[in-house]
Amino acid sequence: MTEVQTSPTAAPAAVGPSGGTAGTRRAARLKEAATGWLFVLPFAVLLIAFLLLPMAYAFKISLYRSTLIEGEVFAWFDNYKQAIDDPLVREGVVRVLVFGLIQTPVMIVLALVAALLIDAATSRFSRFFRLAAFVPYAVPVVIGTLMWGFLYSDSVGPFAWTGIDFTSTGTVLASLGNIVTWQWAGYNMIVLYAALQGLPRETYESARIDGASEVQIALRIKTPMIGSALVLATLFTIMGTLQFFTEPLILQPLNPGAITTHYTPNIYAYQQAFSFQQYNYSAAISFLLGAVVFVGSYIFLFATRKRSALQ
Amino acid sequence: MNIGNFSARRVSRRSVVAAVAATALALTGCSSGGDDKPAEKPTGTVTVKVWAWYPEFKAVVDQFNATHTDVKIEWTNAGTGQDQYTKLQTALKAGKGAPDVVMLELQEIPTFALTKHLVDLGKYGANDVKGDYAGWAWSQVSSGDQVYAIPVDAGPMAMMYRDDIFKKYNLTVPTTWDEYKAQAEKLKTASGGKSFMTDFGANDGGFMTGLFWQAGAKPYAYDIANPSSIGVNVNSAEAKKVFEYWEGMVGNGLADTTAFHTTDFYNGLGSEKYATYLAAGWGPGYIQANAGGAAGKWKVAPLPQWTAGANAQGDWGGSSFAVTDQAKYPDIAAKVAIEIFGAKNSEAWKIGIDKAFLFPTVTPVLEADTFTGKTYDFFGGQKVNEVFVPAYSAIGELDWSPFNSYNFNQLTTNLGQAIEKKTSWTAALDTAQENIKTYATQQGFKVQ
Repeated sequence: MTEVQTSPTAAPAAVGPSGGTAGTRRAARLKEAATGWLFVLPFAVLLIAFLLLPMAYAFKISLYRSTLIEGEVFAWFDNYKQAIDDPLVREGVVRVLVFGLIQTPVMIVLALVAALLIDAATSRFSRFFRLAAFVPYAVPVVIGTLMWGFLYSDSVGPFAWTGIDFTSTGTVLASLGNIVTWQWAGYNMIVLYAALQGLPRETYESARIDGASEVQIALRIKTPMIGSALVLATLFTIMGTLQFFTEPLILQPLNPGAITTHYTPNIYAYQQAFSFQQYNYSAAISFLLGAVVFVGSYIFLFATRKRSALQ
Repeated sequence: MNIGNFSARRVSRRSVVAAVAATALALTGCSSGGDDKPAEKPTGTVTVKVWAWYPEFKAVVDQFNATHTDVKIEWTNAGTGQDQYTKLQTALKAGKGAPDVVMLELQEIPTFALTKHLVDLGKYGANDVKGDYAGWAWSQVSSGDQVYAIPVDAGPMAMMYRDDIFKKYNLTVPTTWDEYKAQAEKLKTASGGKSFMTDFGANDGGFMTGLFWQAGAKPYAYDIANPSSIGVNVNSAEAKKVFEYWEGMVGNGLADTTAFHTTDFYNGLGSEKYATYLAAGWGPGYIQANAGGAAGKWKVAPLPQWTAGANAQGDWGGSSFAVTDQAKYPDIAAKVAIEIFGAKNSEAWKIGIDKAFLFPTVTPVLEADTFTGKTYDFFGGQKVNEVFVPAYSAIGELDWSPFNSYNFNQLTTNLGQAIEKKTSWTAALDTAQENIKTYATQQGFKVQ
């Protein structure tokens, strides 16, 4: 921690204090800037080649309209207009918003409780629990989802005796939420736990001397102090739920009537591009979704700006 | 066999082709796109790249390469169905990376023919083998003298039934759909609701279309030679009759709606959950591999009829070999497409039939005793092809749309949602019809 904080100020201090002329100072600054750019270069090249250029290309094709008979024509924002008017896009957006509203608090609360518990206890059990909760994150999403597909089966699944159809229209969103929680709660727990480990222990001691109970310490001291980690974990969860894709796509064959091909905006965009060859329309949907995610994240960051320290 | 005379025939064919192509160029310029390439003279062994996902296909390729010195197949499994089509579309659009010869399911041929990236095999002797195929199968791959692919296998439909369950509950083998329903009711009562008559998987557009096909529905009127005009009649009276019937079966608890090709579906076939399975000609091999639990207890009977005594049949699935415009030697690629599973290539068909359980479209193979007389242990020694082969011959013609992914998606999505929300199946067909018409218009088709 301390090293990271001091190094940026320490470096110019070594060059600066001699108090040379303005010219040498400017040369030094330039040299510094060049070094900085050199360090950033590998990242910048990859960013441009694999993110910005593809995005620019996707934006370009989203302005064209391609039909099977007439081919490609420039169409300004027609695809965007169509996407905004498309009830299937709207249905998907509403679904991921509802999903995010329920999923995010459930996931974060679970992760926080687990992190606080293993932070408070330092027994062998807590180490085992920490690992066990993290293991689902180490399982690839596809494999984890396939596994849950079998667990949900009403002929071979262990819950078949309940008589619940886990993949019907009414239950499937909850079933998917369960998979997502299983997969990601442990990851969020580790993020929060790492933040807890970084807190100064003396604070707890003084709280205890002041007569605070362990629960009070957890809720009133620890939780507020890891505010920025909480904001970060929540932000990632919001972005993840809005871009919901892999889990529903993999479970789709189990009940395509419930998990339709427009179940989430991402699945719809995927379907348009790779089943119907509507690359242009797909690009427009993707950009709209990107805008929703951006606005959603921004609203969240703005609302939590006091806690996040991310500004 | 064809193997010895391949090279001799190829040379003569090539010179003919070159002459025809030159004439065509002189007469029409380049009107029909890039497939009028005059055949270049290859030197040495020509490698033909083939994409296909048939089971046991490696053995077929090895057999082909072992018996040819002038041409060699380089085979890639580029994924099953949509996975391969996605790669193919991309490669065709990019202008490079596509194979010379590619496996296409019958329902996908208009989709790819519309892109103008398929070579007209009629120019390379495909019409010479027309007589080897049933009329409906040839019409699936051609328009007049233009041939877009060579048929390989098909999926004539029949009813697989569990002999043990039928005996246990004293059911008789139904010959009409009315009888089928009556037996289903009997089964439901007798088994205490434990067994369903069958499973109606709403996730397979090919299955639904097969049943529409039998009922005489013509969802589309489309001719590849006139690509921008299409007739859409997805919600025809015939199709609605089929859906009304099955809505009743499902609503009365006589048929299940577990999605096809899922674990629960296979388990249902292996246990006593389903008494029948409305199968395609490739169904026996498929069931045997995925749900072998009830081996020896299955039998096959013809598909029940809408009219007593009629012989109406439908097809579910099937595939073909097409040649893309990226083939350097389209004449040789066409020969490969024609010969891999050609009428004379009985060695390949031995593998195709015995190991891959393909249902051949070439009538000389189909009508041979080795096929019709073949007994299957899975079916308690029954000669099941005695049912499938006549079904194949009785299938009528049916046009596919040039946007079949969308077509199947509309059928499965709307029916799937109707089943989930317990709304009308025929209304689902009406929705599909409206959506497809809108889509076709948006895509620039003249919709009739």
